[in-house]
Amino acid sequence: METKTFVAAGVVLAILIGVAAVFLASPDPDGLESTALIVQGDKTLTGDTPPDAEVNEDAAGRFSYESPLPDYTMGEEMGKTGEIVALVAGVLVTFLAILAISRLVARPVK
Amino acid sequence: MHIPDAFMPIPQGIFYWVVALVFISLSLRWVRQEMDETKVPLVAVLAAGIFAIQAFNLPVTMGTSGHLVGGALAAIVLGSPYAAVFILSLVLIVQGVIFGDGGITTMGANILNMGVIGGFVGFYSYKGLMAATRNLNLSAFAAAWFACLVPALVTAVEMWIAGTFPLDLGLAGMGLYHAAIGVIEGGITVVALHLIASVRPDIVNVTKGVTV
Repeated sequence: METKTFVAAGVVLAILIGVAAVFLASPDPDGLESTALIVQGDKTLTGDTPPDAEVNEDAAGRFSYESPLPDYTMGEEMGKTGEIVALVAGVLVTFLAILAISRLVARPVK
Repeated sequence: MHIPDAFMPIPQGIFYWVVALVFISLSLRWVRQEMDETKVPLVAVLAAGIFAIQAFNLPVTMGTSGHLVGGALAAIVLGSPYAAVFILSLVLIVQGVIFGDGGITTMGANILNMGVIGGFVGFYSYKGLMAATRNLNLSAFAAAWFACLVPALVTAVEMWIAGTFPLDLGLAGMGLYHAAIGVIEGGITVVALHLIASVRPDIVNVTKGVTV
């Protein structure tokens, strides 16, 4: 497969995976969050996660940062559309960032 | 496995950032020495794919979900652990800065865990298993599983040092959940390797002469 076709197919596949994730990804916490919930006493090691369980991130003296698209969303009012836009933007930004940095650093073809 | 800012004191975050920066600079040296411009778009596609799959959490029972990390996949496909450091660093920077997935002060720790440790464990366990078994599927699956589990255990130790998790609960939770999530990591890594090798065998040359 030619490079241009491979790149186009790869980016489209990545976008499709991202869009599918908006609708199909599990809402359960990841491994680190689940462990934090055990430490908080809100979950057992092998038990289900209670629907209202939330990881406590209110630690004093720690750095705090508000990202522009928190949790891969554009705010509640934008709903699933905002999540799709956020994930597609993430795929494209990652692709372009690696492309730009690699082009700057990689050896030119002689 | 993305550590948020609230889980780690700032001085410890700075320490992990310094260690991560050493490996990021080594990965840039790898890009300069080992990559020519023809491979750049292929690496960018791999990074975009890893970003997308990381957003796709799959259930692993026990009220927990997990996703591909991608360190082993990047290192095996491109033939170097520094490829994983380079790609995962960029992915984690985008996730942290734009989406708040993982903290800013803890980004160095996240790069160290998933990019550096994941990449090195994935690459060298793959090489060792290939030498012993000559079986790509088995070697890639097991290497990816280790590349998920070992960074998780290291994260548990970092969380203990940070005073966030007790060591026993941290190791039990992170170890158990990521042993399960590692099955996803292994499965997706094997499928992705076959997919890439079927369309661009020139960039996955590790399959030559090997039982697939």
